[in-house]
Amino acid sequence: MRLFNRYLIILVLVSALINVLLAMLGQADLSVYFIVNVIAYLVITLLHVYFNPPARRALNGVSVVLFSGFLVIVAMKVFEILAK
Amino acid sequence: MKNPYRLLGIGLAIGGAIFAPLAYFLIVSIPLTAVSLSAVILGFTSMALANARPYISPESADIVLKTGMENTAALLEELGLNTKAIYLPSNTREGKPQAVIPLVAGNESALFKGRLNGRLIVRYDDNPEVMGIAVTTPGSLNLDQLPNKPGNNPDEIEAAITYVLTGLLDIANAVKINMNEKQIIIQVTGAKLSYENTWYYRCLGSPVASIAATITCEALQKPVRIVEETNHKKTSRITLEVLHEVV
Repeated sequence: MRLFNRYLIILVLVSALINVLLAMLGQADLSVYFIVNVIAYLVITLLHVYFNPPARRALNGVSVVLFSGFLVIVAMKVFEILAK
Repeated sequence: MKNPYRLLGIGLAIGGAIFAPLAYFLIVSIPLTAVSLSAVILGFTSMALANARPYISPESADIVLKTGMENTAALLEELGLNTKAIYLPSNTREGKPQAVIPLVAGNESALFKGRLNGRLIVRYDDNPEVMGIAVTTPGSLNLDQLPNKPGNNPDEIEAAITYVLTGLLDIANAVKINMNEKQIIIQVTGAKLSYENTWYYRCLGSPVASIAATITCEALQKPVRIVEETNHKKTSRITLEVLHEVV
């Protein structure tokens, strides 16, 4: 289970780093935090290509949900800009 | 024992889901709300990984592996076989790659002459004394789990071995291959189950080397033999010899 542990540790460290950096930069928009975290999650998950098929299927499910959330936020931002 | 990934996942998801509204409405802190959302994401990821764990515990798998190895070792010891095993691709052994331990060294070129029968004791030459013991190795069973059959270039072989050793079995950290026409050198970093000086390992190699040899022979469609296995600073160096047909 070393691969799973390494993957989770990388996710924890990267998301902590992203949140700290955005907080230090004074970012006050929650959707920005969410989008950057989702992008980091998708990239790290894609880089772990050697997961076994059940793990890959399960993580694909989580990725689809997160990507849907990402698309909803992007769509809302686009509507916001168009409505102005 | 409860699945630790599931426990971690449930803890993070529930903790994050409770803390997020508190951080947003009561503490009025966007960074803390973001941390809670990250905890929820990590929680669901951990719960997803929990379902991908094997059905049996590592201890049970270890017992099954050692039992099989000891039985094969007892057979080899009883027959006094000291020759190195030759790993054969599936097309020579009725659809499943296996290793043949020759009773006497030499005559390997006879292994190219066609399919061998599916029995334990196989004759592979016109000379009735040229025979060997065909055994199934750990790598023979893992080939079915590869998404695609690897091609014969080093990158594909390296990817296939890494997929099995790192992704499926989790018994190594990384694999690197150097290949020429006659020899293949495989460096496995962080290998568990590395080489020990026992009868089984002397004939068939360590499980890691055995898996690497099986995948390589299947990719090349040529018999291979584990020539040498050394360990140095958590890196196993496996040297495979590709056997070519002698015309």
